[in-house]
Amino acid sequence: MNLSRCLACLLMTLTAQAWAADKQPAADHHSHHGMQLDADGAVMNANSKQLPHGCDRISAEQDFTVHVGQKHAQDPGMAFGMSMQEIHVKPCSRVTITLVNDDAIRHQWMVHGLPKYLYPAGMFHLEASGGTERTGTFIVPPEPRNYLVHCDIAQHMEKGMRAQLVVGAGSGDLWAVNGVSDPFVRSSYFPQTPWLWFISVIILLVCAFVARRLTIR
Amino acid sequence: MKTPYTLIVITLIAALAYPPQWYPKPLRIQLTQWFGAGSYRSLPESMPMQPIEHEIFCPADPSGWRNAQSIDGVTIAESLACVADNPFLVAAAVKGTNNISHATLMASGLTGDAIEKANDLDGDGDPDEIHIRLEVAELNGATPLSLDPVTQYDIAPGIQPGLWVFAPKFVGMAVENFESQRARPALRLPSPAIRVEQGDRVFITLENSHYMPHTLHLHGADHAFIDANGEGNDGVPITSESPVMPGFARTYELTPRHAGTMFYHCHVQPHVHVMMGLQGLFIIEENRPNNWLQTLNIGAGLVRVPSRGVVETYDAEYDLHYQDLDQQLSERIRIDNDPRIITKSMHRDYDITDARPDYFTLNGRSFPYTFRESIVVGSDNDLIKLRVVNGGMKTIALHTHGHKFTVTHRDGTKVGANSETPRDVVTLATSQRLDLSVNLKNDGLHAYGPGIWPFHDHEYQGVTNDGIGPGGNISAIVYTDFLDPDGWPRTQGVAWDNYFTEQYYRKEIPVWNLYAPDLFGQPAMDGWILLRLLVLLVCLGTIIGILAGKVLKWREPNE
Repeated sequence: MNLSRCLACLLMTLTAQAWAADKQPAADHHSHHGMQLDADGAVMNANSKQLPHGCDRISAEQDFTVHVGQKHAQDPGMAFGMSMQEIHVKPCSRVTITLVNDDAIRHQWMVHGLPKYLYPAGMFHLEASGGTERTGTFIVPPEPRNYLVHCDIAQHMEKGMRAQLVVGAGSGDLWAVNGVSDPFVRSSYFPQTPWLWFISVIILLVCAFVARRLTIR
Repeated sequence: MKTPYTLIVITLIAALAYPPQWYPKPLRIQLTQWFGAGSYRSLPESMPMQPIEHEIFCPADPSGWRNAQSIDGVTIAESLACVADNPFLVAAAVKGTNNISHATLMASGLTGDAIEKANDLDGDGDPDEIHIRLEVAELNGATPLSLDPVTQYDIAPGIQPGLWVFAPKFVGMAVENFESQRARPALRLPSPAIRVEQGDRVFITLENSHYMPHTLHLHGADHAFIDANGEGNDGVPITSESPVMPGFARTYELTPRHAGTMFYHCHVQPHVHVMMGLQGLFIIEENRPNNWLQTLNIGAGLVRVPSRGVVETYDAEYDLHYQDLDQQLSERIRIDNDPRIITKSMHRDYDITDARPDYFTLNGRSFPYTFRESIVVGSDNDLIKLRVVNGGMKTIALHTHGHKFTVTHRDGTKVGANSETPRDVVTLATSQRLDLSVNLKNDGLHAYGPGIWPFHDHEYQGVTNDGIGPGGNISAIVYTDFLDPDGWPRTQGVAWDNYFTEQYYRKEIPVWNLYAPDLFGQPAMDGWILLRLLVLLVCLGTIIGILAGKVLKWREPNE
């Protein structure tokens, strides 16, 4: 059940991507709504007041500190990571994230799929230059759902900085959240030996021979 | 007892089915003497042409980026080619991200510390302390979510080689928006051309945002082997310093005493890393008063704010960055997502001594996209400066139609006046730079008058996309008389519909389909010969089966 729901989610994401890719690149050069930018980073679409539809009050105040950088990589084959790859929050809670960048390069903590009437492009976004930190607040909707959290610097999500924000009971794990769920496309890690085929054929022949001896009696 | 007869009949059918054009020649001659020539069968029709859905040649410019304009006091020249650089980014590169309005900074997409300029050390009206921050971005790389690449960048229709580039420090996402996998417009090949002034104190911080180790090597630019702290400053892991690891940063310093067109590149496993795209032009302009330079030229091409030294002599200046890409190398970052497997694949399985490049780019694009953004535009009597680098593994024989140019500088130093003979082919070895002066004076020697005059690598691999022409680094010197208002050259000759399709470069469209579909189209299949082959195969199979059955029976006499 969980798996099929994930698969459906992924397919929807991919379809949306393909659909968007088909369109000519929209002249979206200057869309920086609600963005606070300075020399060290940015906070985009912060919202500590306006309630999402379906919330009549703030249900809880939830604060998290997320350390990011190369030393938080979860697995040997990962270059970067987040100290919290999964964050659970209550529906309608006010979430405050402090992004602490332990690297000397830029990193982001970006959540997608929020209601667009409150968060332009459905995003809430923190960005911190190397060695700095950045805090921002947003309010989550009431529906149980898993939101994608990632760093959208080229290859940072792919090489470890992919997390999920789970509201309430959630809606099933996203794929490829390091430490939580498997990659949708997994490396094979086959033994790297030219003898692989030879050994496979030998095993095949031995089995065939044994089976034949057994069935002859 | 029936078997021999069956065999004879089948053999006879096989012999009749055997296509006569494959008979041995003496037999064919004998048959001709007896029966004359074979009777006429009409040749198959040409396959009907599939309707071509091509891309728009010249995308619209809704934001007016091509126009001449003034932003934050920076006068930005008109860019007449179809696709122009973001003028706000140009303004930020001239003033520095620390000296422009917040609105301009936001519109440039850069971070506040991407290009910092301060301190007029020589008191001549321009800043002399320049701090540039560069990241490393991967285009068309792997993802654990899909077999399609991410942060996609097309060098030509449907062609997405895996690439690594030095990139300016941009705020926000690497892609256009959340629904898109396309790289944002300024995140592209080639790595930006960097411009500094002779005598400037230059700091370049490499913030390694990539998952591989990298360095910065300032090829040909005057820099000390070690910096003030005694740290290595040459960027060479085997002689000066360890590479910058993922997540780390290092600042390189230089105060160049000599002006000229130089080069910068990563020096970690350079036969792989430089070939992946970690290379750019590094230009040191002569010192002049009030010389506010366009520190970064994204995607190279037209310099919209040329230096004081250049405008003294020239009407326009272009940066031309030639590269070549080996598909067998660039695809390796697309195939797997684990850096350990990628590393082994790139550094142990790939062997550059067996390599041949497949794609040839000018300023990060191959034909036909070169015509959108990397044409050289001029008018009668213009004098145009081209700064050219060959970053590829293959030598380039750069040729201009309609013009003989002169080489004024080689590898950043002036050539003797005697060497400045007009030429129309010049070779550039790997990593070599030439400054060319193109005179558009219609005197029969330097120029032959207005037109659309191609310029390209005259080594023929260079004018193809993986062997399919036209492609590669073909571009043109286009006179304004031949340019449409939207920046598209008014070409004569064949239609370009084919070239703006992925199918053409996937070899699915016959080369001259558009103007001679009957003579050069794809012929339909000959059903007759297929039927003969089918009968022949059935007969032979039956014969083999019958004979094999006989042999097995003979070997097991008990049954």
